[in-house]
Amino acid sequence: MMIDMLQQLLQGFFGPVYPLVWTVLKIVLIIVPLLLGVAYLTFWERKVIGWMQVRIGPNRVGPWGLIQPIADGVKLMMKEIVIPTGSDKGVFLIAPMFAFAPALAAWAVIPFNDTLVLANVNASLLYIMAITSIGVYGIILSGWASNSKYAFLGGMRSAAQMISYEVAMGLALVVVLMVSNSLNLGDIVKSQGQGMFAARGLGFLSWNWLPLLPMFAVYLISIVAETNRAPFDMAEGESEIVGFHVEYSGMAFAVFFLAEYANMILVSSLTALLFLGGWLSPVGFLPDSMFWLFAKITAVLFFFLWIRATFPRYRYDQIMRLGWKVFIPLCLIWLVVVGCWMMSPWNIWK
Amino acid sequence: MTLAEMQFVLPNLSPASAEIFLLTMACVIMMVDLFVKEKTRALTFALTQITLVGTAAVTVLTSAGLLSIVIAVLLGPDASADLTPRIVEVFGIRTGEEITYTFSSMYVADLMGSVLKLTLYFTVFVVMLYSRSYVLDRPQMAKAEFYTLSLFATLGMMVMISANHFLTIYIGLELLSLSLYAMVALNRDSVTATEAAMKYFVLGALASGLLLYGMSMIYGATGTLEITGVAERLYMGQANKTILIFGLVFLVSGIAFKLGVVPFHMWIPDVYHGAPTAVTLFIASAPKLAAFAIVIRMLVNGLIVMAQDWQMMLIILSVLSMAIGNLAAIAQTNLKRMLAYSAISHMGFMLLGLVTGVVGGDARFALNAYSSSMFYVITYALTSVGTFGMILLLARAGFESDELDDFKGLNKRSPWFAAVMMMMMFSMAGVPFFVGFFAKFSVLQAVVAAGYLWLALAAVFFSLIGAFYYLRIVKLMYFDPPKDMTPIQAPFDMKLLMSANGLAVALLGIFPQALMSICAYSLLRSL
Amino acid sequence: MLENYFPVFVFILIGIAFGIAPIVIGLLVAPHRPDSEKLSPYECGFEAFEDARMKFDVRYYLIAIIFILFDLEVAFLLPWATIFKEIVQTESVKWFGFAEMLVFIAILVVGYVYAWAKGALDWE
Repeated sequence: MMIDMLQQLLQGFFGPVYPLVWTVLKIVLIIVPLLLGVAYLTFWERKVIGWMQVRIGPNRVGPWGLIQPIADGVKLMMKEIVIPTGSDKGVFLIAPMFAFAPALAAWAVIPFNDTLVLANVNASLLYIMAITSIGVYGIILSGWASNSKYAFLGGMRSAAQMISYEVAMGLALVVVLMVSNSLNLGDIVKSQGQGMFAARGLGFLSWNWLPLLPMFAVYLISIVAETNRAPFDMAEGESEIVGFHVEYSGMAFAVFFLAEYANMILVSSLTALLFLGGWLSPVGFLPDSMFWLFAKITAVLFFFLWIRATFPRYRYDQIMRLGWKVFIPLCLIWLVVVGCWMMSPWNIWK
Repeated sequence: MTLAEMQFVLPNLSPASAEIFLLTMACVIMMVDLFVKEKTRALTFALTQITLVGTAAVTVLTSAGLLSIVIAVLLGPDASADLTPRIVEVFGIRTGEEITYTFSSMYVADLMGSVLKLTLYFTVFVVMLYSRSYVLDRPQMAKAEFYTLSLFATLGMMVMISANHFLTIYIGLELLSLSLYAMVALNRDSVTATEAAMKYFVLGALASGLLLYGMSMIYGATGTLEITGVAERLYMGQANKTILIFGLVFLVSGIAFKLGVVPFHMWIPDVYHGAPTAVTLFIASAPKLAAFAIVIRMLVNGLIVMAQDWQMMLIILSVLSMAIGNLAAIAQTNLKRMLAYSAISHMGFMLLGLVTGVVGGDARFALNAYSSSMFYVITYALTSVGTFGMILLLARAGFESDELDDFKGLNKRSPWFAAVMMMMMFSMAGVPFFVGFFAKFSVLQAVVAAGYLWLALAAVFFSLIGAFYYLRIVKLMYFDPPKDMTPIQAPFDMKLLMSANGLAVALLGIFPQALMSICAYSLLRSL
Repeated sequence: MLENYFPVFVFILIGIAFGIAPIVIGLLVAPHRPDSEKLSPYECGFEAFEDARMKFDVRYYLIAIIFILFDLEVAFLLPWATIFKEIVQTESVKWFGFAEMLVFIAILVVGYVYAWAKGALDWE
C-alpha cells in the first residue's frame, strides 16, 4: 500500500524519467545494506578471529567496538593516495574500480525470494559468470600499472590463481545447470524445492548440496580461492610476499579492500542460491522467506572466516595443483556421473 | 518451441566415417605415445601408417564409385564390373554412387573428393615413410607430435576436400594451417625454423582473415554460406553484384595465399627453406591437393556464375607466378629454396587449367580443363614428394644436404639414385615422356582449346626458362666431381619406396591415360 | 525481454560510479605531499635496478592459454547443460543428446591428459 502510494507520487513528480528513478531507488536499497554488510563483515571477521584465537578483537571505538569500521573508513579517506613514479597513472587509478564494480553490479540479478529481484532476466547465472570474471582485470591492471616488481608478480600470481579456479567453478556450475534446467537463479532455487525429501517436509535434503556433494565442495573451495582469501591468499600473503596492491594507499587501497569483502558476500549468496536452496525453508513446517537466504549467506561467510583462522596458507604450486589436477578431473567425472544418473531410471530430477 | 516439437534429424555419419576414424586414431596415438617408453617410439610411427592405411580402406569401402575405380586399377575393368556390386552388397555400401550431403549439407561426399582423399593418404603415407629416419636422427623432432600433427593436418585436408560450406572449408583450412605452423616450429632450437614458423603464422593468419572476410561478403550478398546454396542464389540472380565482387576478390586473395601464388607467395621460400626438410616435404605435397579441392569447391561449385570475374584474376596470378617463380628459382643456391620457387611456378601452371573452364558463358570445355588441373596437381604432389624425399635420402644426422652443391657428383656415389633424381627433374621440367610433360601438355591443350593462345605461349616460354634450373641439377649430378663420398645411409624401405617413386614418375609418363581418365571420370561424376 | 536488462545496465553504471567515487573523494580530501622517496616503487629499500615491466615466467602464459581452452569448453557445455533435463525427457534425442556431449567431453579429456602428461599443469 505504502509502496503503491510512493510509486504514484514519484511517477507524478518525475514523469518520463520515472522508471529510471524507480530503478535507481531500488538499486540504492540493495547497495546501501550491502555496503553496510561489507563494513561490518570486516569488523565481524576481526571479532571472530579474535575469539578463535582467544583474544577480544576490536573493542575501543564505540560500544563493543561497533564504530570501528567507520573509523577505519574515515582514516583511509584522510590518507594520501600515493601514485608511484613511472606508474601508468590512469590505469593505476581505474584498476580498483574493475575489482569493485563487478562485485556490486552482479547483485542486479540476485533474487531475494521468489518475487523480489531487481532484474528477473532469463540468463542471470550467465550474467553473473560474465561479470564476476571481470574482477581479474582489476588485479592484473593494478599489478601492471604500479611499476613495481612485487606488484607485477603478485598480480600475475593472483590472476593465474583466479583463472585456474574459474574453470573448476564453471564446471561445477555446469553440473548445477544440468539438474536445474534453467539459467535463471530464481528457477534454480525453485527446482531445489522438489524431490522426495522436500515432499516429506525435509527440504534441506533435496537441495543441491547433497546430491551434488562433490560439486558443492569444489565450489566452496573454489570461491575461497577466487576471492583470494586465506588459505589461498597469495595476493597478500603478508608474511612472505606482497601482493598486487602493494603500491596502493588511502582510498585506492580501500576500494580493493571493499571489493574483496563485497565479493565474499556475493559468492556466499551464490552458494546459498545454487547449493543451499536460497530462500527455501529447510523443513516443511516453517515458511520460505528471505530470512533463510540471509541466514545461509551468514553461514557461508562464517565458513570463510572460520577456515581463515584454522588453516595454514597453501604454497603456490599446491594451489595450482589443487585447481588443475584435482578439481577439474573431479568436476568432469561428476559431470558424467550426473549425466548417467539422469539417463538412468533412478533419475531424481524429473 | 520445446525440444520434442523440433524436427530433429540424426546426421548420416557414414560419408564422414573416414574422418571420424582418423580423428579417433589420432587421439589414440596421442594418448598411446604419452605412455610408451622412448625405446618403443617406433610404435607411434607404425600406428600412424596403420591409421593412414585404415583410413584409406574406410574411404574406399564407403564409396562405391571409388571402389570400382580401385578394383579396376588393380585387377582390370572386367574384374571391377564383376566384383564391385558384390563387395558393395557385402559391406552394405550406400554412399558414393551419387553426391551425398550430410551434416545439414555442410559436408559432401563425391567421387572427386574420394579420389583426392585417396591420393592424399598415399602422399602422407609416403611422406611419413621418407621422413622417418630424418626425424629419428633429430631429437627435437623425434616426438609423437610430428606424427599426430601430420594426422591432424591430414584430417584438416580431408575436411577441406569434403566441404560443402564456406565455414567447413574454413575449419578444415585452420586445422591444416595450425598443425603446419606447429610442425614448422617443431625444431624449436633452430633459429631459421622458428623464424619461418613465425612468418608462416603471421601471413597465414592474414590469409585466413582475408578468406573469412570474403566469405562474410559472400554471405552478405547471397544470404547463405552453403556452397550449393550460393550457386543456386547466384543462378537465380538474387545477389548483390558489387558486394559479391568484393567478396570474390578477398576469397581469391585468400586462396592465392594458401596456394602460394604471386603476389601472395612471400612465405613460400622462407617456409620451405626454414622448416625441417621432413616438414617441407609435407607442406610441399599434400596441401596442394586440398588447395585444389577448395578452389573447385568454392569457385567452381559455388561461384561458377562469376567465372568471368575470377578467371580474369586467376590468369593474372597464374602468369605472374610462372614468371616470378621460374626466374627467381634460377638465382637460388639452396635446393629447398629453389624447389619453393618451382612450387610457385607449378601452382601458377595448375591455375591455368582452372581459368579455361568457361569461355564466354560456354562451359563445354569445363570438364577437360578442370580434369587437366586435377591431373596436374596429383602428379605434382607425386613428383614433389620424390624430390624432397631425395633430400631426405641424402641427409643424415647433423647434415641436411639441402644445398645444390650437395648433389654434385651424385652419380659417382649412387648411380641409381642419381637416375631417380634425374627422372624427377625431367618430370618437373616437363621433358617429354615423363609424367610432368603430360600434365603440362593436358593443361596447355585445355588452354588452347579455350582460345587463349597467348597464354599457352607464355606458359611454354616460362617452362623453358624453368627447364634451365632443373637441368642444372642433372648437370651437377653427372658432370661435377662429388664433394664427399659418404655412402647413402638410408633404411631399406625408404630406398625401395624412393625407387618406386622414381619409376612411377617414369611409368605414368608412358601410360598417363589411366590416371587422366580417373580424374576426368571423377570430376564428371561430381560436378 | 530486453527491457528486463535495463535495471542491470543501470546497476552496472552505478557500480562503476561506486568504484570511482571513493578514489575521487580520496584524491580531493586527502593531503597530497609527494616527495621522490615516497613515490619510488617498493623494492624492500633497494634502488630499483631494472624496469618493473620485466620478462616473466612463460608458465603464466601457458596457464592463460589452457584457461581459455577450458573456459571455451565450459561455454560450450553451458547451453547443453541448461536443456539437459529436457533432453532426458525427450525420447527422440535422449541418447543422441547424451552421447554427443560424452564425445565432446572425451575429446576435452584427451587434450587435458596430454597437457598434464607434458607438464603444462605443473608449477615447479
